[in-house]
Amino acid sequence: MKFLAVCSSGLGSSFMVHMNIEKVLKELGVTGVDVDHADLGSVGPDSADVVFVGADLADSVGGLGDVVVLDSIIDKEELRTKVRETAVRKGITVPAGDAS
Amino acid sequence: MLTDHLTPETVLFADRVDGWRDAIARVARPLLDSGAIRESYVTAIVDSIADGGTYIDLGFGIALAHRRPEDGVVRTALSSLRVAEPVLLGDDPAHPIDLFLCLAATDPHNHLETMSELAELLSDESLRTELLAATSAADTQAVLLKIGQNA
Repeated sequence: MKFLAVCSSGLGSSFMVHMNIEKVLKELGVTGVDVDHADLGSVGPDSADVVFVGADLADSVGGLGDVVVLDSIIDKEELRTKVRETAVRKGITVPAGDAS
Repeated sequence: MLTDHLTPETVLFADRVDGWRDAIARVARPLLDSGAIRESYVTAIVDSIADGGTYIDLGFGIALAHRRPEDGVVRTALSSLRVAEPVLLGDDPAHPIDLFLCLAATDPHNHLETMSELAELLSDESLRTELLAATSAADTQAVLLKIGQNA
């Protein structure tokens, strides 16, 4: 299973989302998920199982398959909620799934 | 370490700025003066915003102005500008900004610690609130010293 954070530059925003996804997965006790980041131009439908993007790119990622749109890329609560939902949707075990 | 990057020279405050272009010019100024970026980097940032690229709006009134290394980064650096009145990024009412950060990264993978600290600083609600409340470089530095303490 691979989660990919994507932004326009592939440097600032996506890297921060990448690191925050890793933190959230750790907090949730989820294992077995690879996390990476990339710029929009270098990703395709097969780049990852789930792509995380900021709201600004919501209209640019139509062909990337399973996409999760973040209203704010630095809102940890939003990220935690959406990563947990995504994990459950993908059939991944979430040991701390009931915790907020 | 972020404390190496956000110093009294690079942490700026302004009572009044003349729109987002002025804000970008001001926040980039210390990095230009120190030689961390070239003029082309500022131009690239301004062009991308003018082109509708409000992706640097992170939410919570914080914008992280940055482009790719090849746009004119000489060495990794970071600066900030807190504006007293929100500035509309790209003149778009949907993107009011209180705090502009200008990030110049040569290769972020070589600056994992800095990027990781930046992610924590901006994503931790209490640190972020304190950062936005800072009214001096000393305030900002005090917030930076708290990074990692409650992780």
